[in-house]
Amino acid sequence: MSEHKAAPMVDEVSDFEVLEMAVRELAIEKGLFSAEDHRRWTEYIHTLGPLPAARLVAKAWLDPEYRKLAVRDGVKASLEVGVDWINDMPTHFGTPSDYCNLRVLEDTPKVKHVVVCTLCSCYPRPILGQSPEWYRTPNYRRRLVRWPRQVLAEFGLQLPADVEIRVADSNQKTRYIVMPVRPEGTDGWSEEQLAEIVTRDCLIGVAVPKPGVTANALRPVHPAVHPVQHGHDHG
Amino acid sequence: MSKPHYDREHHAKKATGIGDPQCFKGEAGKARFKVGDRVRVRNLPDVFYTRCQVYTRGAVGTVTELVYESPAAEDEAWDNTDKPEWFYSVVFRQKELWPEYPDLYAEDTLESEFSERWLEPA
Repeated sequence: MSEHKAAPMVDEVSDFEVLEMAVRELAIEKGLFSAEDHRRWTEYIHTLGPLPAARLVAKAWLDPEYRKLAVRDGVKASLEVGVDWINDMPTHFGTPSDYCNLRVLEDTPKVKHVVVCTLCSCYPRPILGQSPEWYRTPNYRRRLVRWPRQVLAEFGLQLPADVEIRVADSNQKTRYIVMPVRPEGTDGWSEEQLAEIVTRDCLIGVAVPKPGVTANALRPVHPAVHPVQHGHDHG
Repeated sequence: MSKPHYDREHHAKKATGIGDPQCFKGEAGKARFKVGDRVRVRNLPDVFYTRCQVYTRGAVGTVTELVYESPAAEDEAWDNTDKPEWFYSVVFRQKELWPEYPDLYAEDTLESEFSERWLEPA
């Protein structure tokens, strides 16, 4: 008898994906929204990315008046980089996970902000796009609030003891981005040049901008000491 | 809180073109706390739903901003939106939250938001 088993056609679907599909199909059947609404939303979500937030920071570095506006009223400042938190989205009132309240956390040489949502995944999606997978993991969420320096070190960011680390736990209606300190070696740069080094990781706060670095570092993955065995093998 | 003719779109109608939490502006009345106040996070029961993290319960911090007015998450989860509250941004010393936090980094802080019901004067 052959031991051969056909390779799966797709990766295993997670329990949460099954749950999402079930709830989505029920909602469509019940008429809460249509399949067409769902398609429009999904397509809209995939148009979003971190570029507007990078431009916001670059602009603020160059224009002190705009910087004040960004810190005082992030929603209003977003308009100038093409993001209308209130009217852009298909619903025109935000969604329960993207409330229209953006705060720009201004780093100084002595204060470094970093953002997390310990509840699950609150993230300023209209201006930053979808969150990276690691941002949503329990590992990042539970450890960042408690051991921020260790977690930042894993991202390659080691900060001296006289720099205050301020973790922003985004668990109500405010969504945060970090405005890092403009790095040395960028004198005379244009807004476009500056925006290139403000990566998504800089905007979450797990990295600081550096001339020449325009991509996010790979998230380090450490094997679990006591790995959980998922018991899906009923053989 | 009777809803004889329940309108599933009541929130959409209220918030469209205005935004949430902006649509609750002016509905929370007088704020109990002001910027600079020392507050303690209460340890209220949280049956069914809460967004007030357990690691902050009992901790003392400082109000840094009155951020917006909104129904508390614990009410809004059940679509009870008729009693908005003030929300506060509160900053804690990490050492206050985690007693084992190293003294070397005594200046490290954490900030988060709380609806008024979760705070008491410290």
